Amino acid sequence: MFFRRAGISHTRYQDERQIWPLPIDRYTVLVVLLLLIAAPFLIDRLYIVSYLLPLIIWSTAALGLNLLMGGAGQIHLGYGAVIGIGAYSSVHMLRAGIPFELAMIGGGLAAAVIGSIFGAAAMRVKGLYLAMATLAMQYIVDFVIIQFPAISGGTQASLPVPPTTFLGFAVEGDKVPYYVALFVCAVVTLFMLNVRRTAFGRALAAVREKDYAAQIIGVDPFRFKLLAFWVSSFIGGLMGAVLSVCFYRTIAPDQFHLDLSIQLVAMVIVGGLGSVLGVFFGVALILFAPILLNQTIALLADQFGTTLPMDLRAHLPLMLYGGLIMGFLLIEPLGLAKIWGNIRNYLLVWPFRHSRQ
Amino acid sequence: MALTRRTMLTGTAVALLGSQLPVRVAFGQDRVVRFAFPQDFTRIYTFVTSEYSQGQRDYISLINGRGGVGGYMIEAEITDHANDQPRAIEAYERAKAQGAVLIDPLSTPVARALVPRVLQDQINMITAFSGRSDAADGTAFPYVLPLTPNYWTQAGLLVDYFKQQDGGSLQGKTVCFVHIDTPFGKEPLPIFEKLAAKEGFTFRAFPYTPPGNDQSAIWPQVRRARPDWTVFWGAAVGQTVALTEAIRNGLDMSRVSSSVWLSESDMEVVGKDQTVGVMKVEPCVSGREPKIIQDILTEVVAAGKGAGSEDKVGTSYYNYGVMLAALMIEGVRRAAEIAPDGPVTGPWLNAGLRSITAYDAEGMIPPTTITPEDHQGGGFGRIARWDGAKFVPQTDWFSANQDVVWEEIRKYSEEFKKTGQ
Repeated sequence: MFFRRAGISHTRYQDERQIWPLPIDRYTVLVVLLLLIAAPFLIDRLYIVSYLLPLIIWSTAALGLNLLMGGAGQIHLGYGAVIGIGAYSSVHMLRAGIPFELAMIGGGLAAAVIGSIFGAAAMRVKGLYLAMATLAMQYIVDFVIIQFPAISGGTQASLPVPPTTFLGFAVEGDKVPYYVALFVCAVVTLFMLNVRRTAFGRALAAVREKDYAAQIIGVDPFRFKLLAFWVSSFIGGLMGAVLSVCFYRTIAPDQFHLDLSIQLVAMVIVGGLGSVLGVFFGVALILFAPILLNQTIALLADQFGTTLPMDLRAHLPLMLYGGLIMGFLLIEPLGLAKIWGNIRNYLLVWPFRHSRQ
Repeated sequence: MALTRRTMLTGTAVALLGSQLPVRVAFGQDRVVRFAFPQDFTRIYTFVTSEYSQGQRDYISLINGRGGVGGYMIEAEITDHANDQPRAIEAYERAKAQGAVLIDPLSTPVARALVPRVLQDQINMITAFSGRSDAADGTAFPYVLPLTPNYWTQAGLLVDYFKQQDGGSLQGKTVCFVHIDTPFGKEPLPIFEKLAAKEGFTFRAFPYTPPGNDQSAIWPQVRRARPDWTVFWGAAVGQTVALTEAIRNGLDMSRVSSSVWLSESDMEVVGKDQTVGVMKVEPCVSGREPKIIQDILTEVVAAGKGAGSEDKVGTSYYNYGVMLAALMIEGVRRAAEIAPDGPVTGPWLNAGLRSITAYDAEGMIPPTTITPEDHQGGGFGRIARWDGAKFVPQTDWFSANQDVVWEEIRKYSEEFKKTGQ
């Protein structure tokens, strides 16, 4: 009913091959985009600066990792370090007086170069070995940032981001950082939606499914794995710049530790490997479930007058959170995107259940 | 998973019910000063936070039970940020939206990340034993208040105590510094290096990799360096591991010391009798003797309003919590003296906090004076030794090497003033 398919007949190949072939999908995307653009004027600033903004930034970063993990099938446990390289390079460029637009690209390039160097070394191995190799990258980058005061910013190890502008707007306050992040997110999302329809995306898919089979049909696995590392590291670096300028405003080594890498991997897996929409769901779950569970527990404790000890009150949400992730993956191993897909398929033919396969 | 009509309907029903849960709690009371204590209960500092927070809450209950301070009641919102920065930023922004005028994150990374926000929003951030050491310079960080001796001062106090013990000179001695290899652990390095040049002792630093569960490679090297004095610098689990390794390598416990981050709980883990003699820096009196702790025991704990188990009352970190809550509330009292009718805002409380004068919390803390220039409160502390059951003070409150400390503070705060804004 909602996703009516009846009466929609594509008569040209390009109609069938659109990103969103059904009009309802196009309208949904349009409405969501308009809501996102209007959001700072509609809802409380708290929800912009501490929910929507991190959601957008983390999702965009996770999209980069998703290209590598879901697109090319290469695990990366050092993606937090990639973001860190981007953040530190771009902030140092900003401090040297380079405009934000260029520093962002610069951060992306620095991350892409370093990420690909590690990638090239790591490409000699596969699977779990690759996981270990990328984990090593995480630790090496952490170590380098902490050991060189010139990078980390002295004994205080925190590097303030100087005031800057993006396309003529001063990136300060609540609204401009949000729009900058939204703009970058829109560009990256469009790129991700399109990349699987290109020769590059298809080559990545071939490498993901079986690299020597890909080699037999003439796709050079090394080259495409490396390209995947390059592109995803570039996006990671780009988002490092956006993250530091639009969200943190002061960067410190702790922000880019293994925790961030694991968090991003979890986001991609819970969301659904390879799915663009799933990444947004996964990020929302991993970022906000702990916060919302904490508030719910605190609220319930207050409402029912039970005095939970603070330790239990702090740990209970964690247990529920763990249960939640396991529950989602048990119910649907293909991730949140697949749950959404199931609902969509159900509604496509509702109420004519018999017409489903 | 295949969807059936039943799962679909149940799912919709659950979602509808769930959306009815109000996420925000609204308060509405006059003459209330709101504090926000988002702290790390679950990730790294765990038991440290829970003891510290217990002290804070008990002291606030004590004051509220007596009818508040200066006509104001204190309301503290305690949440868990798990040392995770997006969560901490969410907690901060939420506190700000609810009208909090003070935040105490008790976490160095979180405090550092919040600095630009609190300076812009004019909300007082307490960074006791955490955060940036250069925040002691109130002219550069008007809204960041450590209120306690920072790590540089603690290092300065220790070196001065070593000097006193060795007959007034450290010439030719060796001081080893075993630290976690993070910005927090490396922080005291410049002070030790400067003092080594000034006092003529040999200074050697031994970093261990975070989080410090395994330090077995480092301590034999420390032993071979034949230190006259050893200082170990870490947090939470790293501290007990360091002590265990120090004992295993046969270091003389009476010549081993740490910062303020050592407590009775650590001693229980390592062994109460094995650690006799080990030293720490004490920013306030530990134990149950201080009058405030006695008051808490009779008015809060005995009345069944205690925030946690009674046997934690009077432990080191519990008393740190009481100390900080007492300083914050003294700030409220001063603010209410300066402007009795508020309005309760960040700058209102800031004026109070920055005019705390010779406050000693009824003998529990060294006389502390906070000025718009000095947010450290003079840098007083004392050295205490573990005697198998409790920490026994070895010195009176004293301050030392503040010239070197302030040189370092100004070096970084000047830089912050230049580039930060």
